[in-house]
Amino acid sequence: MTALSLAWRTARRYRARAVLAVVGVAVIGALNFDMLMLSRGLMVSFADLINGTGYDIRITGSGGLPLSRQPLDNVTPLMAQIAALPEVASVAVMRTANAAAITPGKPPDGLELIGSSDPAGLGIWKPVSGSNLDAATGDASLAPAIVARTLAERLGLAIGSTINIRVRISGSLSAMPSVPLRVVGTADFPFESQGSFVVATTMEAFAKAHGGMLNDHADFMFAKSRPTAGVDATVAAIAKALPNLRVFSNEQVIANFSSNAFTYFRQISVVLSTTTAAFSFLLVATLLTVSVNQRLGEVAALRALGIARRKIAATLLWEAALLVGIGGVFALPLGQLLAMVLDRILRRMPGLPAGLHFFVFEPQSLLLHAAVLTATAIVAAAYPVWLAVKLPIAQTLRQEVVS
Amino acid sequence: MGLVVFLAVLLGAAPPAPPDILVSRQLLAKAHLSVGDIVTLSADAAGARARRFRVAGVYEPTPDPMKFNLERIEARLHLDDLLGLASNPGDTSSADAVSAINVTLGDRSNAAGQQFQRSLAARSPFIFSSSTRDNDNVTFVVIDRFHTAIAAVTVIGSTAFLLALMVIRAEERKETVGILRLIGISRKTIMTEVVIEGLLVAIAGAAFGVLIAAGAQSAVNSFFQARYDTTLVFMRVSPGIAMRSIAVAIPVGVVAGAVASWTLLRRGTSALVRR
Repeated sequence: MTALSLAWRTARRYRARAVLAVVGVAVIGALNFDMLMLSRGLMVSFADLINGTGYDIRITGSGGLPLSRQPLDNVTPLMAQIAALPEVASVAVMRTANAAAITPGKPPDGLELIGSSDPAGLGIWKPVSGSNLDAATGDASLAPAIVARTLAERLGLAIGSTINIRVRISGSLSAMPSVPLRVVGTADFPFESQGSFVVATTMEAFAKAHGGMLNDHADFMFAKSRPTAGVDATVAAIAKALPNLRVFSNEQVIANFSSNAFTYFRQISVVLSTTTAAFSFLLVATLLTVSVNQRLGEVAALRALGIARRKIAATLLWEAALLVGIGGVFALPLGQLLAMVLDRILRRMPGLPAGLHFFVFEPQSLLLHAAVLTATAIVAAAYPVWLAVKLPIAQTLRQEVVS
Repeated sequence: MGLVVFLAVLLGAAPPAPPDILVSRQLLAKAHLSVGDIVTLSADAAGARARRFRVAGVYEPTPDPMKFNLERIEARLHLDDLLGLASNPGDTSSADAVSAINVTLGDRSNAAGQQFQRSLAARSPFIFSSSTRDNDNVTFVVIDRFHTAIAAVTVIGSTAFLLALMVIRAEERKETVGILRLIGISRKTIMTEVVIEGLLVAIAGAAFGVLIAAGAQSAVNSFFQARYDTTLVFMRVSPGIAMRSIAVAIPVGVVAGAVASWTLLRRGTSALVRR
């Protein structure tokens, strides 16, 4: 009989404790797996968000951080200069403003108005229905608008509907008249907070909503590099042509996000994954030790029958491997379920982009989870194995008979 | 004569003392400043329109959980000095513009806050106000729920292990329990003994757990305060939290012991004493 089959028989004989131990390992293992996903989840999710857009370069003013909304001045000549560079495939700007949707007989609904120089928003929004800002559907005398799905549902808007938008200008005592826009599409805006109301329109319509008096600012400027040039070369070219601006590739933006944003969750994931690993080790080691202590007579009898120390040790190792291994396998679906629950809790934080997730599955999390559990099984079995191989056979058997 | 006096005053007059500012402890250390030093500040990266100020004191920035990972390189100026430094000389209204006005209401209830916001909106429709308790509170409510969920999962996992250990312990006592039953001790008495024993062990374990948590609190706060150079308290085992933990731990411990023992007690006496 092999060590594995001996271990399996032992587990079947002491079914209740084996099942409970597997459940315990599964639950703690699930938590450990989740903490491993949390350690890089935000960064991976943010990278997916950024890389899923149509641009790979972000440009800010000289005082700006990659993710901060520092306005850029004199964008029209800047755009022309950047677009003229051979490395640049396209460049676009966006502006945002606080606004409200005006519906007769109802209080205004606050929203964010985005003006985009690119009809597709360079991938900032994900179309759900209809088309982009260059659509020719509906009343051509009205400027087009892409409406957030949540807002469309709230106001009962469909493709071709009209939405009246009034911008709010802080610091001004003027009340802007509302401008009608025709809805050409609905979209999700993954960079905006969940459930937020957003309307995107052309820069011309954005200026018209401001009464036609708009300075040459932009809140965001993005560029797309030509595949032949490569991102790094394009970043260098723009930085050289416009040394007063700060130019970042998506990779640099992600690295900046990784080092500055939500460091609390990275720290907590390290603390909790270490704690759960230690916890698993402690519990499995305690369980195995108590189990071996209870079966010392059995172990002594096996040794007396001639079963080698190595086989006894292997049996105990297999017992640990079975408990931790089966528990670890169950930990994966349990961990995914728990991750969904924890992610839903954390995504209720205000101001969080709707497309950002805290828990993201990566193959390396799975490998790390397996490595942690393997190490736990081996280390937890060390002391019980030592107990079993070192016990004096005759003395133990006598004690068992006498007791 | 008057001209001579004027010239004497002009030539002999000391330059006006630069206005005072306060600097954060972190800025003081980073820029190697001392109280009394004269520094030059500018709102322009190229140093245009710089002005001199005197470091009148150093302060510890109020710990802000939303900024705990940022280096607090800050200075505090009188408002008019800041406006003079940062305003746009081409825009006369910018010298009279501020980013925000903080208001403390006499009546701090939600109703009073909402009434204030309505009154302000009615008088100044283009000024927006929001309660400071809204966003930050929601963030920490979310983090509280997150930690509660993790704690709940940990308790479930450890309960499974505890049950397994209790089952092993009950098995070890199988013969003892069988003998007690043979000599006439009732199931109820044995069960009561198990419950009391479980209660004592659970109380001791819970108290020990609170002590470990208190020790861990000190270690966690020391580590993160040093790591982020802040006085923010990251972890605090309050009496409420300790009581909540004990209130969970004791019933779990007692019930686990009772359940494991009951699985043994429900067997017949002969099954207990049989080898």
